[in-house]
Amino acid sequence: MKTRKLVIAGLIVSAVLAGVVSLFASSSPDGLESVLLTGCDTVDGEIEGGACVLQAAGEHEIGGVFADYGMSFLDNEILGASLAGILGVVLTLAFATGFFWLLARGKRAPAEENA
Amino acid sequence: MSDLALHIPTDVVDGPTSLVFAAIAAILVGVSVVLARRNLDERLVPLAGLATAFIFAAQMLNFPVAAGVSGHLLGGALAAALLGPWLGALCVTVVIVIQALLFADGAVTALGLNVANMALIATFVSYAVLAVGLKVLPRTRWGLGVTVFVAAVVSVVAASAGFMLQFWIGGEEVGQSFGAMTTAILGTHTLIGIGEGVITAGAVTAVALARPDLVHALRGTPLAETASRTQKEHA
Repeated sequence: MKTRKLVIAGLIVSAVLAGVVSLFASSSPDGLESVLLTGCDTVDGEIEGGACVLQAAGEHEIGGVFADYGMSFLDNEILGASLAGILGVVLTLAFATGFFWLLARGKRAPAEENA
Repeated sequence: MSDLALHIPTDVVDGPTSLVFAAIAAILVGVSVVLARRNLDERLVPLAGLATAFIFAAQMLNFPVAAGVSGHLLGGALAAALLGPWLGALCVTVVIVIQALLFADGAVTALGLNVANMALIATFVSYAVLAVGLKVLPRTRWGLGVTVFVAAVVSVVAASAGFMLQFWIGGEEVGQSFGAMTTAILGTHTLIGIGEGVITAGAVTAVALARPDLVHALRGTPLAETASRTQKEHA
């Protein structure tokens, strides 16, 4: 398979995973969170009582409109979650490619590093 | 709080500990930048970008591992197998930074902790296991698959052990003893690691059969199956 084709196919797969398959992912707390919740009673994921490590956790410092892989400005939560996933894939690709491109370029022209 | 999700949140590990790990992580990411450039050429850039985007997507896919507990791919083993330890560590670092800054997943103050565990420990440990496994086991799709599987399991458990070290230094146990917490963390992450192992082994062997040149861990030598096929094609 040609590299170009492979990259395009891989991107489509990633976008489908983040934008569609992720909607069906398990919503149970993950391995870390479930252990941090031990000792607390939870109802629908909200801590209702008891004592556990996660009670000490504060709000996220930034939060933002895409917090928890959603789009808080959209009324439709499912659409928001799907679009946030796709946006994440696109931004990650753009940022990573740009960063690695700079690294690869810097190597080819070491004189530019100090410029 | 219900959607806190995934990575180490705010204030679970104290400020000084977070800061120390941020410093360690920054140094090791810097080392990775320097060493990644040795093997990085423009041909690899789109693939490394794709691998990073794929790991971002895969980290969103929580699969059930026990009643009421889920897990998701960390991606360290995948990145290490395809891109090597240094570039691989940078891929996972990019994912974790984007998650923390844009998607409120993992505290900004815990960036050093999360990068240390998932990007650095998981990727470096994977690579060490891969290097040993590929020397010991036959270079067939099964040898590679088993090696990648073991590397992934060990890497996830190692990453979770990294968290327990951080928590031991700067966390405060509530509702359970440190010992019970360690057992629980290592236990759930063994299960998550098995899931990660199956996914990663499948992905890496698929790439190795189609494009062995894109699997860094193979170091330019294709698998026995593909090697004989290539020889036939050339004959």
